[in-house]
Amino acid sequence: MDKKISRREFIKHQAMTGLVLAGAANGLFLPGPVQASPAPDIGVATGGAEAATRAAVDLIGGMGGVVKKGDHVLIKPNMSFPRSPDEASNTHPGVVKAVAAMCKEAGASRIMVLDHTLASGKVCIEASGIGDACASIGTNMVHTINAPSFYKEVPIDRALSLTRTDVAKAFLKADVLIAVPVAKSHSATGVSLSMKGMMGLIYDRGIMHRMDLNETIVDLATLLKADLAVIDGTRVLSTGGPGGPGKVLKRDTVIASTDMVAADAYAVGAFEWYGKKFNPSQVRHIRLAHERGLGRADIENLSVKTIAL
Amino acid sequence: MIRFRRIVQLLSLSLFLLLLFLVSLSGVSLLNPDIFLRLDPSLMLVTAVAARSLWAGLIPAGLVLLSALLAGRIFCGYICPMGTTLDGTDAVLRPRKKNKRFFPGLFRIKYLILAFMLGAALFGVSWVFFASPLSLVTRLYGLVIFPALSFLSGLVLDVARPLADALHINTLAFARIRTIRFDTQFFIFFFFIATAGMVFFSPRFWCRCLCPAGAIFAIASKSPLIRRQVSSACTQCGKCTRHCPMSAIETASPRSTLHPECIVCRNCEAICPEQAVSFGRPQILRIGPSSTFSPERRHIVSTGLAGAGTALVSLTGLTSLYGKPGQGQVGTPGLVRPPGALPETELLSQCVRCGECMAACPTNTLQPIWLKAGLPAIFSPAVTPRRGVCDPRCHECAKVCPTHAIRHLPPRERIWAKTGTARIIRRKCLAWEFQKHCMVCDEVCPFGAVEFEKRKSVSVPVPHVLEDKCGGCGYCEHFCPVQNQAAIVVTPMDELRLTAGSYETAARPRGFDLRIASHDVPSAPSPMPYPHSPKPENHPAPGFDPE
Repeated sequence: MDKKISRREFIKHQAMTGLVLAGAANGLFLPGPVQASPAPDIGVATGGAEAATRAAVDLIGGMGGVVKKGDHVLIKPNMSFPRSPDEASNTHPGVVKAVAAMCKEAGASRIMVLDHTLASGKVCIEASGIGDACASIGTNMVHTINAPSFYKEVPIDRALSLTRTDVAKAFLKADVLIAVPVAKSHSATGVSLSMKGMMGLIYDRGIMHRMDLNETIVDLATLLKADLAVIDGTRVLSTGGPGGPGKVLKRDTVIASTDMVAADAYAVGAFEWYGKKFNPSQVRHIRLAHERGLGRADIENLSVKTIAL
Repeated sequence: MIRFRRIVQLLSLSLFLLLLFLVSLSGVSLLNPDIFLRLDPSLMLVTAVAARSLWAGLIPAGLVLLSALLAGRIFCGYICPMGTTLDGTDAVLRPRKKNKRFFPGLFRIKYLILAFMLGAALFGVSWVFFASPLSLVTRLYGLVIFPALSFLSGLVLDVARPLADALHINTLAFARIRTIRFDTQFFIFFFFIATAGMVFFSPRFWCRCLCPAGAIFAIASKSPLIRRQVSSACTQCGKCTRHCPMSAIETASPRSTLHPECIVCRNCEAICPEQAVSFGRPQILRIGPSSTFSPERRHIVSTGLAGAGTALVSLTGLTSLYGKPGQGQVGTPGLVRPPGALPETELLSQCVRCGECMAACPTNTLQPIWLKAGLPAIFSPAVTPRRGVCDPRCHECAKVCPTHAIRHLPPRERIWAKTGTARIIRRKCLAWEFQKHCMVCDEVCPFGAVEFEKRKSVSVPVPHVLEDKCGGCGYCEHFCPVQNQAAIVVTPMDELRLTAGSYETAARPRGFDLRIASHDVPSAPSPMPYPHSPKPENHPAPGFDPE
């Protein structure tokens, strides 16, 4: 198996695999080809918030593949609104808690759960339940970063328009960034998932609206590229997002991927939005991210593994 | 005895500052943070006359007045935070050379100031904020000193934070000191500097000559039960007259005392070489008559009339809202008052401009205005959404108002206290004018009063305000990404301001439907459905591209 394969062989191999897959097209998730496949690109688990989170991350190889011993981990949930967990504007506290616990088990030396909230930080941490949930993992883990002194201006080399911005210092110091967004609709960008959620780690969001929101979200994602995205679809805010209130779908689903674009793309297709089904390509920032090579939005070509608990 | 007085003074000032600090920086209110304001008899008396109400709120000031009958101006000498502050600045600014001779005639100015304010108050106009010591000193500390200190501690924290971060002390690393900023701060500051600078004429010049509360105390302490006594051991050396901070002992007759001017500091008792001075019940034999420098009646009457005259000038200003609301009343454009604020005329007569509401406001949205609404409205509070939101669940400002110029409403009522209505300026709006995906106003509105709609002329969904659901909180204006003036602004249109009665009862018949938007509480069918509400399904999936 050490033998290097040529490009031609590789393409042949791919084509054959494609044929095999095509043959099994109707049973997409039947046991795959026998050849040793590494962890799937996307792991999807259904069940209770904490259990499903653990299962989804385990499907893609576990937290150990992302967090190394001694790492500083920055977890970015949605907790911008003073609303309760069942209103689905914020990430489910159980999902955040499970991610934090897994980081701790993987040997992280420091775990921070941070967001730049719209409403008063204290109220958001309390109402979202995230503060309480994480208290059992470690003390003083959850904070808001609503003051300018928490940020530092840095260049974004691969950006097309947002070439510089003030980014959370905590991100600049962290070894690992984990996006833990809730799956929700967004009146300006279709959905708000892991890429859109990165706006919670910069200071001036206004300029992104004045430029072009979808393009600058991708600009931002070139810098704030999550090492792991865990999308909370336990409840989905299907309409009225991002603040709500809106129609909340109970889906008990958690999606995990080391490719934040793929996780976002999968979430678009996995849930109904405004009572309809959409393709990931219909969300402009996801399409742009794929086109600019940030990740894969072509779910049909990715390996997805699901588990029901 | 002097040490005792200093300790009491410092304790009193510390308590005053602590109460103010707690509301100002952490929103914790211990006791009634406004208690000191309510001890000021000039503030309470003028307000009671101007607002034509004698409420129970006057009791603390009344009790303080009783203390003056009993023991003279002990409030001035021991309790008043303004007096203690001036003692402090006097010690620093005191001129090296001896003061020029003090003209006792200046004592009478304070009575005239009081008469002037009462004259204006008869017409319902309150000038109390120009001279009430507690209003001045609360404003000084709350709106000038504390913001400066919090700025400074913020800088210190900025230095400490990287260290805390390196040591993984998260609480300190992510600690935040609220940055507070206020308008008109220089005017407040300079007014105080002018007051403190009067030490060049005499120590405690303010308390002797200008303070209207001092005037009331002086009237009440013409001959208090416990007062300065001089025994026959007095050699008339005159040491006490030179050391009296209030010039309450005449050079000609050190044995007599101007009790209305005496603040019972007891310096004279401590320094008398013959130990001839004591404070206690007067002996039967009184040495020298107690005299006072109360001004002549005609001066009192004429300054009272002058005050009344300024009230008339004030009430005939273009933006005066005296009388019934309706045509011809010119309100100040864009002036949004805090929720529960009394109707404008009542607000201006009842508000003492102490700045407690602004110091207590957790988002710093409450700002003192300068001449925006004319001289009678300076330092009155205005909601400034660009600075901060006025959250419909918060009513900290009303909790600390010493005169109930902002009515304190229970949460159920508070939400109906509509402060205004948001209006979209389409020519500035990123969606309407620049055809960009934005909708931040819809995102942040706690009332669900901003809806998106699809217009044929615009390629992106555009925001639209449902006026009857808008509480005027300013979340939209605050977070609008358009620079400088926002593309959505709160105007006082449809503001609800009641002197009494239920806000909900008044709001419902007007068709208002104010509630925190929540899917948990299905909105009851409105008895008066708003006819133009865009239907939510008019743009089924905002933000998604067509297939």
